[in-house]
Amino acid sequence: MAGVGNVDLRRKTNYLIVDSKTTVKQIEDTFKEFTTREDIAVVLISQYVANMIRFLVDSYNKPVPAILEIPSKDHPYDPAHDSVLSRVKYLFSAESVASGRR
Amino acid sequence: MEVVDHETPSLENGQTDKEVEENANVLQFMDSMDAYLTLIHSLSSTLRQGWLELASARHSMGASRVNTVLLDHTSHPAATSLLVTQDEGKVDSGKPHFILCKWASSSNENSLLGEKQSSQDKLHPQLRHRGSTELCEEKTSSENKASREVDDPVQKERSKSLSMFGTLVSPKLRAAQLSFEAALETLVEIANTRSEMLCAFDQVNMKLEGRKDEK
Repeated sequence: MAGVGNVDLRRKTNYLIVDSKTTVKQIEDTFKEFTTREDIAVVLISQYVANMIRFLVDSYNKPVPAILEIPSKDHPYDPAHDSVLSRVKYLFSAESVASGRR
Repeated sequence: MEVVDHETPSLENGQTDKEVEENANVLQFMDSMDAYLTLIHSLSSTLRQGWLELASARHSMGASRVNTVLLDHTSHPAATSLLVTQDEGKVDSGKPHFILCKWASSSNENSLLGEKQSSQDKLHPQLRHRGSTELCEEKTSSENKASREVDDPVQKERSKSLSMFGTLVSPKLRAAQLSFEAALETLVEIANTRSEMLCAFDQVNMKLEGRKDEK
């Protein structure tokens, strides 16, 4: 509705609708495809779907495309599961503070 | 007898500058993290509003008219796009910056309209010879006309995007569209804040690793 949907001549879309019939393999393959396409700068993924492929999302570390985990209608956003925040949270752990003070 | 040590102040300044830089990096990291969380919270509330409006539209128009089955699978380009630039010439070069181009096809028309306006002004120089009040009125009316002409292509693109739901749509559906547009703007801000946060995190991390190596 905001005009971001794109369908090319080969009927390939820049989005994937995840429902009860969508497999984890399909989500993984689509994630890998979108993160390697040159015409995609930001990948929006609902956090619920990101949790299904958490290993893949957390291991992604390129600046572009940026992976943004967003809340979905039925699943609110949880900062504890956000891949970016989990990457930086170790700075706030007691271990990192203690190692800095030694 | 006082002994003035001239070397110590410069050493102190060197260390202080280093500490100041480290503190600045840490502050930047904390600020960007705070901004990131605030924007995520704002996005959640904007999306909730959009979903509520969409549900209201679905209720008034019927489930068959507001459905993913109606999505257009024919070839069509995205009307809204992103421009990615790199911050060059800075210490943290390589940090991407995202710029949203909403209803981009209409922006091309806007630039064409602007060129048309300036060319028309050149073709009709006699307008400048009229009285100042008349000139101001004409300028105001031409500006209003230009702004209306700018808004029309955007409205056309918005209506085109909603056309898959039918010709006459509920006002709630239009409101939902505006909410999702606002959410999209917030998402671009989040993307920029995310890249700032990761850049600041890398710098803080580098300093910490450097300290560990020294010890």
